[in-house]
Amino acid sequence: MDIGGTFTDVVRYDERTGRVVASKAPTTPGNLADGVFSALGRVVDDPSEISFFVHGTTQGLNALLERKGARVLLVTGEGARDVYRIARGNRDRMFDLRYRKPEPLVPRSAVTEVAGRLDWRGEELVPLDEDAVRAAARRARGEGFDAVAVCLLFSYVNPAHEIRAGEILAEELGEDTLVVLSHEVAREWREYERTSSAVLEAYTGPVVRRYLAGIEERFAERGLTVPVHVMQSSGGLVNASYAMRRPLQTLLSGPVGGTMGGVAAARLLGRPNAICVDMGGTSFDVSLVVDGRPDISAEARVEGFPVLMPIVNLHTIGAGGGSIAYAEAGALRVGPESAGAVPGPACYGRGGVRPTVTDANVVLGRVDPSWFAGGLMSLDVQAAHTAVADLARELRLETLQIAEGICSVANAKMAQAIRTLTVEHGVEPREFALVAFGGAGAMHAVFIARELGISEVVVPRFPGAFSAWGMLEADVRRDLSHPYFRSGGELDGADMASRLKDLQDQALEELAGQGVADSRMRIEHAVDMRYEGQDYTLTVPLRDAAEPGTPGFPERIAARYADAHTKRYGHATPEAPVEFVALRSTGFGVFPRTAATHAAQPDEGTRTVREVIFDGEAHPTPVLRRGALEGELTGPAIVVEETATTVIPPGCVASVDGNGFLIIKVGGVK
Amino acid sequence: MIDPVTTEIIRCALLQAAEDMNTTLIRSSYTPVIYEAKDCAVALLDRDHNVLGQSSGLPIFLGNLEVCTRETERLHGRQVWREGDVWVLNDSYIGGTHLNDVTVYGPIFVGGELAGFAASRAHWLDMGSKDPGGSMDSTSIFQEGLRLGPVRIYEGGEPRADLHEVIARNVRFPHATLGDMRAQVACVTTGRRRLAEIVSRWGLDTVTAARDEIFAQTEQLERAAIAAVPDGVYRAGGFLDNDGIDLATPLPVNVTVTVAGESVTVDLTDCADQATGPVNCGAAQAVAAVRVAYKLLVSGEVPLNGGSFRPLSVATRPGSMLAAEAPAACQYYYSHLGLVIDLVVRALAPALPGKVAAASYGDSLIVQMSGVDPRTGKLYVSQEATVGGWGAWDGGDGETCLINSVNGSLRDMPIEVLETLFPVRVTRYEIRPGTGGAGRWRGGNGVVREYEFSGDTSLSLWFERSVTPAWGLAGGGAGAPPRVTLNPGRPGEREMLKVNALAVRKGDVLRCESGGGGGYGPAELRDGAALAHDLAEGMVTPPGRAQAGPAGSPVPSVK
Repeated sequence: MDIGGTFTDVVRYDERTGRVVASKAPTTPGNLADGVFSALGRVVDDPSEISFFVHGTTQGLNALLERKGARVLLVTGEGARDVYRIARGNRDRMFDLRYRKPEPLVPRSAVTEVAGRLDWRGEELVPLDEDAVRAAARRARGEGFDAVAVCLLFSYVNPAHEIRAGEILAEELGEDTLVVLSHEVAREWREYERTSSAVLEAYTGPVVRRYLAGIEERFAERGLTVPVHVMQSSGGLVNASYAMRRPLQTLLSGPVGGTMGGVAAARLLGRPNAICVDMGGTSFDVSLVVDGRPDISAEARVEGFPVLMPIVNLHTIGAGGGSIAYAEAGALRVGPESAGAVPGPACYGRGGVRPTVTDANVVLGRVDPSWFAGGLMSLDVQAAHTAVADLARELRLETLQIAEGICSVANAKMAQAIRTLTVEHGVEPREFALVAFGGAGAMHAVFIARELGISEVVVPRFPGAFSAWGMLEADVRRDLSHPYFRSGGELDGADMASRLKDLQDQALEELAGQGVADSRMRIEHAVDMRYEGQDYTLTVPLRDAAEPGTPGFPERIAARYADAHTKRYGHATPEAPVEFVALRSTGFGVFPRTAATHAAQPDEGTRTVREVIFDGEAHPTPVLRRGALEGELTGPAIVVEETATTVIPPGCVASVDGNGFLIIKVGGVK
Repeated sequence: MIDPVTTEIIRCALLQAAEDMNTTLIRSSYTPVIYEAKDCAVALLDRDHNVLGQSSGLPIFLGNLEVCTRETERLHGRQVWREGDVWVLNDSYIGGTHLNDVTVYGPIFVGGELAGFAASRAHWLDMGSKDPGGSMDSTSIFQEGLRLGPVRIYEGGEPRADLHEVIARNVRFPHATLGDMRAQVACVTTGRRRLAEIVSRWGLDTVTAARDEIFAQTEQLERAAIAAVPDGVYRAGGFLDNDGIDLATPLPVNVTVTVAGESVTVDLTDCADQATGPVNCGAAQAVAAVRVAYKLLVSGEVPLNGGSFRPLSVATRPGSMLAAEAPAACQYYYSHLGLVIDLVVRALAPALPGKVAAASYGDSLIVQMSGVDPRTGKLYVSQEATVGGWGAWDGGDGETCLINSVNGSLRDMPIEVLETLFPVRVTRYEIRPGTGGAGRWRGGNGVVREYEFSGDTSLSLWFERSVTPAWGLAGGGAGAPPRVTLNPGRPGEREMLKVNALAVRKGDVLRCESGGGGGYGPAELRDGAALAHDLAEGMVTPPGRAQAGPAGSPVPSVK
């Protein structure tokens, strides 16, 4: 289940029949659980029959966006109280004399210092002032803070001071006040980023905890016997009791579902690489699946605040069906301004007069006005024509020319957004399949693919509910890391192997705590490396935990690092010494997969033919219901379903595979 | 005549090509000064050296990479360009900046025909100057390191091993330096590939027609923006503290901005002659600084290309510190450039009240430490810029503890990273309350950053803007100037702002305090709730204590 801004989408998989069903209910902002249960009621009669339930929650993110999170007291070391407020002092807009940093979630007056200091090796320079910690606890209680975040310098090397501070705070405050220790949130260096992560967890945690406790209680009342699972920002699942302890990991759980759907689609299609594009009314989100894995960053920014946690790398630009086209100095521009839902595109008939991408599609005949949003909404075709024609006059072009031009510019921009991610990764888009979903994704996917030289477009079933389906296909995942600073020359392979073994044991234990059976556990190991003098690292995979102890490892790992560097950045410096920075172990709990079946239902709907414009020419184009597809379909064709429309231009051939994916072989690649 | 759809698609593709070059450079660079501080810039140029697309990490590299390809062609003729060659140049009097800023560039051929150029500039950690990382007291370019004219580092796609060797032998950190150079070459390669794709798809004639149209559109937008600025002659002046050698003599900088119809002229000729110390820059860089101010005030949203600066002209005086000639020292080429930017903003304050802000603390405030790390026995150099307060404007307080505008998106050095990499500890990192100028809208506060040295260290400092601290606007007060104290409250306590290679001992303490930003509007009009909030948050000093400020420091003269 995926809780979006407007709708809560739900996908049900029936283990007995192999059937997949999707539905939705309006999202209920006041109490999200109401929307969850009304969506659930549309696909499941008896919750006690549910053998697995997963959902993405936006509760924490909403609290952040609306600035309705907890009141947090921040405890720092002496001399470091303003690290959070200084926020590393950087700007992200260059031509702005009036730059302001994001408003801190903790005011300066709610930051309190305690003495205690470690050096860079984690050795104690000044003992922790336990009385000062107790005073902070009394202040938290006295002034009614909901949560306390603690971030002390070098706790990622040696967490002893933070652990002791946590014990004292728990003694004084009991269970009611959430206490967040920075090294538990992110065992990584850089005090501002770690403080920000801890503060975000403290700020959103109480809200997420209340929400999850409420959901679990209501499920229990209805007879659900299995744990509620939650999607994490990393694309992995955890159960709700773990998410209540580490709520930060759920912060961006919604949009990640689409990427995990892309991972599952890539697996089912037998392709290692996929580009996932989610196009809706106002935004276009891109993410990558490389070698069958989601592209994950170790760090992200949310509302301007850094968070150190594994997070699926999503690149978003302001491009969607609602993007407005306009003239400027004789030039045609499209977006990023959007008509939004109100007034919306001109064709919505809600008073919008400026042409949008959706209006252009209507003018070109690519939208079936009688079956928009599954027939729930009728379109004002004339209004779309008028809006586009006005712009055409301004730019001295024909209406159809400008309509196609609006789409071409939007497609070029979306293709460039994809390029931004692929360049960053040093990968070639033409080696990828394009998986398109969201309300408008499938309408533009083939055109975007042509821009990038991509030869295959995949439109999954229920494109509007693809994120929810992706969650159903995800694994339980726990990411563990341990700082391990060593120069290449002083590597002790046996020592590294034994540290990895410890991490592995810890990962196995955590998976067991998530209810994962032994036979379903899988652990991957990797080491973060860099050239001496660099700051950024590359995560280099290891064969297993024991590999560092085997003969020839130093040369092997240096060569593997050089390969990874060349692959990612296009060059390497083989003669330069390397160093190790951190060890990583990731535990996966693999769930049984849905084996969806697809059977055509030829009687579904009628086939009509309409005129659609492609490359300036009108083509008689069949319009079909998706459920009725059988065999190969040669473009031009329009395929409609409840939540999406797929445009198949001339020169392309579409077919439905055994999993129900609509596969389009793209011709006319540029 | 090209249609607006094709033009727009080509325009977006060129902008994206420049972004791709930038991504390649930043992702593959070796040292934090590039990937973290973004002390770099890239440009895609047409074959006539006009900017097709640019992406700039540092604003002050705005629109002046083309001087490198232009000058190469002027020296050697157009026939010098050959497929697969990559060139390098860091000459201060051509590029305008210090020797550390190295431009790597190459021609782009499509189907055997010259189609354009790709260029990238990045700051190299060390160029072999007399002190590691660069000197605060150099008096000649020959003390500042390896100076490379236009020279090929790749020929026909193959690296020139001999020249690589020359570079490796002349710099202190050859791995990092050559690693960064390879990143720049990768960036040029990306630019080549992208432009070749665009030209192959549309044809050179179509791309050229689109270019003309794009430049014309941009020029039209720029001219419309300038037309909205009231005509007039606007002036402002200020001082650089000194040249780092003669600490007693402030150096004047005066700007005159003339707005007439759809054009702007900025006259920078009234400034000090080129100085003995390293506060000089080439004219190209003075022009770039004016372009930054122009973008800040006039048309920040319009993407940059060959049409951008057609309505803007800049006058400099050869032999002045803003158009220096050989062998002037140029290491600190940017302190007076920051001042130029601020002065253009101040000059135009009466004309553009809705866009300007009071002055910021105004300089990078560099703390440089070097020596042999007692933990490893290896040579190290650490160079940090210090955050400070920015100016207030009509409607908002200035931001507290923000990086200097000339430093782009630079972030401060985390304490945990600094202490791990270098033999030093940071004992305080705090807001310096009450240092923002008073006003209806308050200036932002500076910072206090205190270091304790864990080993014997060679310390260099470059702290500026004590003679002309951040001025207020519309009756707002000035911000406090910077202050640096060695061993505060201990025997041998000493204040200083600039020093080169001072020997400090293990256990010595250095307290660096940065300036605040200027205020806007009279302080009596400050909202009571805002004042109470400032007191509760400790952002101002309590009433009864004087607002920290520069008693008697000269206010910049407005001519």
